[in-house]
Amino acid sequence: MHFGLRENFFVNEEIERIKNCCLEREDAFCSSACPFRLDVRELVGRIARGGFNSAYRMYSNAVGFPAIVSAICDEPCKTVCPRRGIDAAVSLRLLEAAATGFSSNHRPNSYSLPAKGKKIAVVGGGISGLAASLRLSNKKYDITVYEQSGRIGGHLWDIMDPALFLPEIETQFMYEKYDLLLSKAVHDLSPLAAEYDAVYVATGRGGDDFGLAASPPDGTPFASGARGVFLGGGVLGGGTMEAIAQGLRAAGIIEAYLKTGNMKSAPSHRQTRMILDKGAIRPIPLVVPGGGRDYSKEEAAEESGRCLRCRCDACQRHCALLRYFDKFPKKIEEEVHATIHPGSLDGNGTIATRFISTCNQCGLCAEVCPMGIDMGIFLRESHRVMREKGAMPWAFHEFWRRDMEHANSDAAALSARPEAPGRCEYVFFPGCQLGASDPRYVLESYEYLRKADGGTAVWVACCGAPSVWAGDTGVFRRYADTLKNEWEALGEPCVVLACPSCRSFFAEFFPEIKTRMLYDFFDTGPQVPQNDGEEKLVSVFDPCPSRHDAATQGKIRSLVESAGYRLSKLRYEKRTAQCCSWGGQIAVAAPNYTNWLVTERAKESDHPYVVYCSNCRDIFADCGKPVKHILDIVFRLGGWDRKPPTVSERRRNREWLKDGLISRYWPQRGDGKNKMCANLAKLLVSDELRVKINRSRLIEEDLLSVIEECENSGNVLVDAGNGHRTGYKVIGNLTHWVEYARRDGGYELFNAYSHRMKIEAGTRP
Amino acid sequence: MNPDDSGEPGGNLTCGRCQARLEPTKTQFSYLGHSFHTEVPACPVCGQVFISEELARGRMVEVETSLEDK
Repeated sequence: MHFGLRENFFVNEEIERIKNCCLEREDAFCSSACPFRLDVRELVGRIARGGFNSAYRMYSNAVGFPAIVSAICDEPCKTVCPRRGIDAAVSLRLLEAAATGFSSNHRPNSYSLPAKGKKIAVVGGGISGLAASLRLSNKKYDITVYEQSGRIGGHLWDIMDPALFLPEIETQFMYEKYDLLLSKAVHDLSPLAAEYDAVYVATGRGGDDFGLAASPPDGTPFASGARGVFLGGGVLGGGTMEAIAQGLRAAGIIEAYLKTGNMKSAPSHRQTRMILDKGAIRPIPLVVPGGGRDYSKEEAAEESGRCLRCRCDACQRHCALLRYFDKFPKKIEEEVHATIHPGSLDGNGTIATRFISTCNQCGLCAEVCPMGIDMGIFLRESHRVMREKGAMPWAFHEFWRRDMEHANSDAAALSARPEAPGRCEYVFFPGCQLGASDPRYVLESYEYLRKADGGTAVWVACCGAPSVWAGDTGVFRRYADTLKNEWEALGEPCVVLACPSCRSFFAEFFPEIKTRMLYDFFDTGPQVPQNDGEEKLVSVFDPCPSRHDAATQGKIRSLVESAGYRLSKLRYEKRTAQCCSWGGQIAVAAPNYTNWLVTERAKESDHPYVVYCSNCRDIFADCGKPVKHILDIVFRLGGWDRKPPTVSERRRNREWLKDGLISRYWPQRGDGKNKMCANLAKLLVSDELRVKINRSRLIEEDLLSVIEECENSGNVLVDAGNGHRTGYKVIGNLTHWVEYARRDGGYELFNAYSHRMKIEAGTRP
Repeated sequence: MNPDDSGEPGGNLTCGRCQARLEPTKTQFSYLGHSFHTEVPACPVCGQVFISEELARGRMVEVETSLEDK
């Protein structure tokens, strides 16, 4: 592998981590402790919205005999409820009683199914045997219960009033038939095994296990060594609740056996691995029944509201992407897998293509996930795989691919060292966007560094991030070689970086290159304007790639305070910094989400932002948020409301920067005149159209080239009414259209737009 | 694009090369490996086509988006 790009990482690490470690689908603590694995989150949700009938139905389905269970359940859920110790565990039994009490229909479901034609013997008429009989008779198996005593109910007679449990058993069996053989002791299973298709042995605590219960799995009904014979309930040592639950589960494994012939025990219960941030729990007092024993409907709803619906959802609570699209890591992994490995040859089902291109890859998820799952890395690698398969639409990243090309072109890129003797100790690498945002950021910073160390070189280029974000591994590899060679040619100096993204990419892909942040060179002495801030409150919006750069985070805050500002903390900052929306360059793939995200980020504080990433600055400035780059403060450059340059101006800024550096420091290397700028003077564009063109990410230089192509080729359409000329040209993959008129040696542009579809060759001369 | 006499985008256009008025013509397009055709104004002589902004920013975007999500 090359410079840290990991070919097999995708399959080997992050997928396994998501599959094995993500806790989002873990049971709630209460459900895990419940013998019936009752889905408490769903139950309290139904109660909270007054759905007592559906809550009762759900409860009844889970426990088989709701009146019995709600009367004697010893509430293991209460011992594990996270509210225990903070205020009080949720009163689930009272909620279950409310669901039962307020339900208008206590009749069991009536199942209209054809008879299965299979006979099952149940040895023992206790509650476990009856539970298995209930579920199997629901499914129309032919059940015969053998009970050695003269009554059903087993040990319930010892712990409950028969006036409660006998009517409940009768109610639950009201639509089912089963044969009950009382006073019919079974001493030998062989005749039953011969006569019946399956046998469930539920002889109760201390009952006969027929020598089959030698080493049962812990607490689960199991398939014995004798074919067709299953054991469960008190005979395996469980209490009443376990006995009922095992009877219900036994029905499932017996049916599976009858359908497949496989003697499989029920899987052992795995305790939940849920991790919950208890610090986020807001205390709410326990709701006590006002009228004595039971809750009113309102009280039940209120107590349901105390339930935390425990779920590991840290990623979704903190990550805007997961919240916006209501997704969790496992679901994403499944959708991405289906997208990368579509079920049909034509690629149907590539449901996550756009989603893969919508992650800012900021790394916040890995910080907040208790298991450290980084969905950004996973989606970045997914993007790479999709790109290598040719399955990622080119349009999502073409604009930035071309932008990177421009940043590294002769028009904009520069590597130059002062003609000072000795080794070049530092080189200033401002990246591709700092000078695009404002060339003065780079000129002033470089001048500052030159004053500190006259041997400091300058190297204006892109770090390669756009090609990694676009999944262009091959492009990045070639470019990484170029960067490495240039660094070696400069004498392997320490690289001074201004852009936190550059720093994170250098750290990941060029660990051997020593780097320092530009801001590290500034001290907080008189060189920083001391009173500009006038005690104004501002918030430092840390760029997401600075997440683990505590030194820079601290330095920026010191500089801001030295300049006379007061700091107001953001909820998400430093280690939990959020992306402004730039990361991953998602705006073309997901424009609506991006617009929403920027607005959300701008609202994080009422105070102006100070940033140290020019992309953050321009994005916030574009949405009207007062913002300054730290260099605006240190060098007194832009105001709080400096408008961001258009996409066309960004290119010009880069070219002006190169010319500015050359004319100031290396005048012998060029004439310092910007060719593109001179050429663009031929194109007249109204302010209104310029805004539209910018929003469409169309470059004025490109539009001029379309016009020139039309003029040179004669492939132009003419409007007979106004004389406007219209034509198109494909630049990259994008078809650009222009409507223009000739004007005094130049052109006036009236409109420009584009489309991704290609007009097929052959329809044009 | 300014309104034109015919009320149809491009209805007032003539081919700069052939001086012919554009006529609705079945034209082939492709995107992401899929091909399709539709009628757009084109020069009846040389075949030069016109895609209006309405089409480019409307129906074409819909089709492009659906193919990207397919």
